[in-house]
Amino acid sequence: MTTRTDTLADVPEALARPADTSPRTLRVAVVNGSPSERSKTMGLVDVVLRTLRTALTREGIEVEENRVDVYRLGPEFTGALEREGVAPGVEHALRVVEQSDVLIAATPVFRGSYTGMFKHFFDLIDQYALANKPVFLAATGGGDHHALVLEHALRPLFGFFQAMTFPVAVFASSGDFDGTTLLNPRVHGRIEMAVTDVTDLLVTRATSRPQPPR
Amino acid sequence: MSDSNVSTEQTPGRSSFEIGHMTFVEITEDPRTGRLPSAHQRSRETIEQARLADQVGLDLFAVGEHHRTDFVGSAPAMVLAAAAEATENIRLTSSVTVLSSEDPVRVWEQFATLDQFSGGRAEIIAGRGSYTESFPLFGYDLADYADLFREKLDLLLKIRSRNPLTWSGRFRPALDHADIGPRAVQDELPIWVGVGGTPASAVSTGRLGLPMAMALLMGPITSHEQTIEMYRAAAEQAGHDPAALRTSINLHGYVGRTSQGARDTMYPYFARGMMDNNHQRGQGFQLPRAAFDAQTSPNAGLVVGSAQEVIDKLLAYHEIYGLDRALIQIGFGGMPQKDVLESIEILGTEVAPVVRREVAARKEKAA
Repeated sequence: MTTRTDTLADVPEALARPADTSPRTLRVAVVNGSPSERSKTMGLVDVVLRTLRTALTREGIEVEENRVDVYRLGPEFTGALEREGVAPGVEHALRVVEQSDVLIAATPVFRGSYTGMFKHFFDLIDQYALANKPVFLAATGGGDHHALVLEHALRPLFGFFQAMTFPVAVFASSGDFDGTTLLNPRVHGRIEMAVTDVTDLLVTRATSRPQPPR
Repeated sequence: MSDSNVSTEQTPGRSSFEIGHMTFVEITEDPRTGRLPSAHQRSRETIEQARLADQVGLDLFAVGEHHRTDFVGSAPAMVLAAAAEATENIRLTSSVTVLSSEDPVRVWEQFATLDQFSGGRAEIIAGRGSYTESFPLFGYDLADYADLFREKLDLLLKIRSRNPLTWSGRFRPALDHADIGPRAVQDELPIWVGVGGTPASAVSTGRLGLPMAMALLMGPITSHEQTIEMYRAAAEQAGHDPAALRTSINLHGYVGRTSQGARDTMYPYFARGMMDNNHQRGQGFQLPRAAFDAQTSPNAGLVVGSAQEVIDKLLAYHEIYGLDRALIQIGFGGMPQKDVLESIEILGTEVAPVVRREVAARKEKAA
């Protein structure tokens, strides 16, 4: 059985690149559809981020994280009926996602699908802002019978946006967690696989794009 | 905690394969007669079951913990203490102690006391509990479910391994050189972890190197293959000796004089128990006879049938999982005492000796 172990110890060595290359940065945005303060969904995302960071650091790429908790955006968000004129804080959250290089879309399953606030957030996203953007799909649910929410609910949503969803999406059940810590080695292994599949692509994206002013 | 959680060494004279009888001491109306037994009657019947289980040579007597008036199960240590006085050799265990809503200090005090009264026969199966009544009852928040169990198990293991104890955590006042007694008769009072089959429970139990009791209600006999694989892998990764790991399956069953008779006896009560204690669509769990019969086939989980059928099923379990024990819940759903006693007797006299002999032969062959 493969159990993922952190290889963060390798980082300093990997960073020892020629001095003239400034580290490339990949901006990763997380949209978290969970209403819980401490959530299994974020427990899953934490592993995804760690795996992504480990894979990219090895390639000399830094990961910049930005996280949007849709249930923390408040009444200005829940009451927003259209993009035009949304409150500045909400606008900022939307832009962070639109301008990211990679999106991690993560949600618990509520009533058979992504949560309402998760969808509401994407209802306010510009129709073409996610086109060709790499998107990692992640979901959590009470049991394995919810696993196809990834394919039957999340993937079509990002299909509409013409986004580039990763071939492997990751689902974890309540029983895979101790509290919010992901324990099931099979899920860890699947995340590893999902990230490995697209590492080359992400490296290309990070190195061919003009770096934003720092 | 690495110093406190190495599983117990095999006590000399322990069976090659331990077989036990488990009860929740539920008070359920007899679906055939409509009679509801009194709590007192069920209490006395339970001790009679323990006495017979001991007399016919079963290895374990186990009592579950439930905090409702349709069980005499809120204080398993009390039931086991009464059983201790009626028995001589059988080991006495909770199945399970809902540790998340207990004070580990009190759990230790009770089971170490039981160990003293029984001369070293006490065991604990610590679990998260599949019922939730005890959480509000003792002022715990279900939202802390995982943290509660982790912390309380940590404390219980530390109480077992050292005294006096200094400890602090989130859910109970800190202990400062606390002298917690009595100490146990056994060098290491066995503390098992009961799991329902979620991967996370298997992995965390394996990391601690603790013996694991897997509950299998219904479904394929192989339902827990992944559970045990993850448990062993996690244990090995954490540096525990795989050969020292002990495992158990806890399940429902009934041994009768004949195949058909055993099924006919068990079905109405088991179906009633499922209706009262499990649910689907917010209502009781319907278990049609055909669904029950399917659960009794060779590749399904229930241990029901003639002595030979039950021998075959237990040996199949041993072959699949390499288990050390099976704890069989006989009579769930308010089965009349005479039927329960008959089954305990056949289990002890006809089933257990054969299973132990076969498992011993397998172990010898493997060695």
